[in-house]
Amino acid sequence: MMNALGKLFSTVMALALLSGLSSHAHADGHEGMNVPTIKSSALMSGLENPWDMAFLPDGTMFFTEKCKGLSVRTKNGTVNALYGMKGSTGYSDSGSDLFCEGQAGMLGVVADINFAKNRTLYLYSTSSKYHGSGCKTNFEKCDGNIVMRFKVSDDLKSVSNRTDIVTDIQYKPFESNQPFGGPGAHNGGRIRIGPGGFLWVAGGDRHRGICPQDGQLLCGKVLRIDGDGNAHPGNNPPEGYDKRIYTYGHRNVQGIDFRPSDGRAFTAEHGPWHNDEITALVNGGNAGWDPAEKRGGRGACPDKYCGYEPKQMDAVDPAVRAAYTPMSDTRFKDLMPAAWNNNGFSQGTGSAAFLKGSNWGVYEGRLSVGIMGIAFGDTPPGSRIDMIDLTPDGMGIRGIVRMPLGFAKRFRGLVMGPDNALYASTDEGEIYKITAE
Amino acid sequence: MDGNKNNRFCFYVIFLFCGGVDITRLAKGLLLLFLAGFSGYALSGDKEAGEERYKKTCINCHGPAGKGVASYPKISGKEVSYTKSKLETYRDGIKVGPNSALMIMMAKPLTDEEIANLAAYLEDAKYDNN
Repeated sequence: MMNALGKLFSTVMALALLSGLSSHAHADGHEGMNVPTIKSSALMSGLENPWDMAFLPDGTMFFTEKCKGLSVRTKNGTVNALYGMKGSTGYSDSGSDLFCEGQAGMLGVVADINFAKNRTLYLYSTSSKYHGSGCKTNFEKCDGNIVMRFKVSDDLKSVSNRTDIVTDIQYKPFESNQPFGGPGAHNGGRIRIGPGGFLWVAGGDRHRGICPQDGQLLCGKVLRIDGDGNAHPGNNPPEGYDKRIYTYGHRNVQGIDFRPSDGRAFTAEHGPWHNDEITALVNGGNAGWDPAEKRGGRGACPDKYCGYEPKQMDAVDPAVRAAYTPMSDTRFKDLMPAAWNNNGFSQGTGSAAFLKGSNWGVYEGRLSVGIMGIAFGDTPPGSRIDMIDLTPDGMGIRGIVRMPLGFAKRFRGLVMGPDNALYASTDEGEIYKITAE
Repeated sequence: MDGNKNNRFCFYVIFLFCGGVDITRLAKGLLLLFLAGFSGYALSGDKEAGEERYKKTCINCHGPAGKGVASYPKISGKEVSYTKSKLETYRDGIKVGPNSALMIMMAKPLTDEEIANLAAYLEDAKYDNN
């Protein structure tokens, strides 16, 4: 009798529990939220540091490899090597002035908005052609990053008519007394076509303290120019600044894209030992990075660069460093506050792309951000792609979801394909196709 | 048993066996010393443990199987003695290149055993996604 009562009690309790769980599962209503199934597959592998990709409407994909050059994967899958760096082999043509060193090399690529008519492609790379006598030390101008324009042949087997439309983005020629102190540091390098077909060029501070806040040097800036390299007539930098500058005060911008709903530019910026940032750009605005010595209450710094201080060679709480040399320094009246700062960590934001297409469901319109993963001190590595829901005013976020890929890689380049899939290049050598259904 | 412990063990062997000046014991001690000196622990690390340790932090910069990514160099395919020497140098705080500060920071907490294991793993580690 007792046994039967016990079974009855257990059954009733189990049903009650199940009922409760069922009710709880419906509580957030997620069944109606159109959460897509996300899948990924390697489109290409065995590449050498693939850095950026650019698509044509038919699925043709141009891609760069940092120390090799520019190639194209045609819509039927064949790969043509188009324009190599100095010393590269197998390319239909090459630039004897193009070289790679440290973080520098062949980086961004993008097709002109009228590619179907003009076959024009833009390419960002490090070049020795414009060094002149300005690269004898790290404290000189040293023009060494350029933007080139090419004409792509109809058969996608060659490029021609190279024209260097920007020749004066600075480069770091020598080692300095900094962590990551090798030559070729902080080049930015992402280029994208924005609203109206203008070309946006993202730069880096090349480990020179004065760069980001200097009005004549292009290091630490985001440029908005036309296809000939001329300033957009609507650029509004401070008085006396180079008119090609759209925003200044940047550290190392490797991600830039334009929000589909309003065309506003957002950058993903790699922080020092702290604060990777997503920032909504304002024409003429200041991102607030100023690593120069003897400013903001600081004294002298190693090689005149305070970007990793204090105690740059030791583990220090990121918040302490952020207070000493902030990524977004509030002493600037024209500061563009960051929308997101990666919880105060620097894990290496490599690129960013807005998710486009209804296939992305609740994630449509979110900014996907590739995090490469760096683990120093107590910072967790965090290699991942985040999907960030930005507020309409661009001043904050409403939420973040980590893209459920099932693996971690150093995600360097992100770009949307014409099929509304996200394509991601990794430092490990792959280009992934990530779909949402 | 890591290298430091191994050295301590050798010292104890000499101390214990030489104290009584017994030639038989001394011979036994020398034999033990010889065996300890050439034990597997002292010469080669554990590849599996090395891979596990590699994946904790090293992989974040040097990529899978030490293949090298971005501006971080390839570190696989090197002789065990080379990798051990490099890591010991960094652990001692000695600068040997532009990214030394990073490596010194990462190598400081490594034990002799971890260094041996990492060197063993990296000697022929291969990335299988090529």
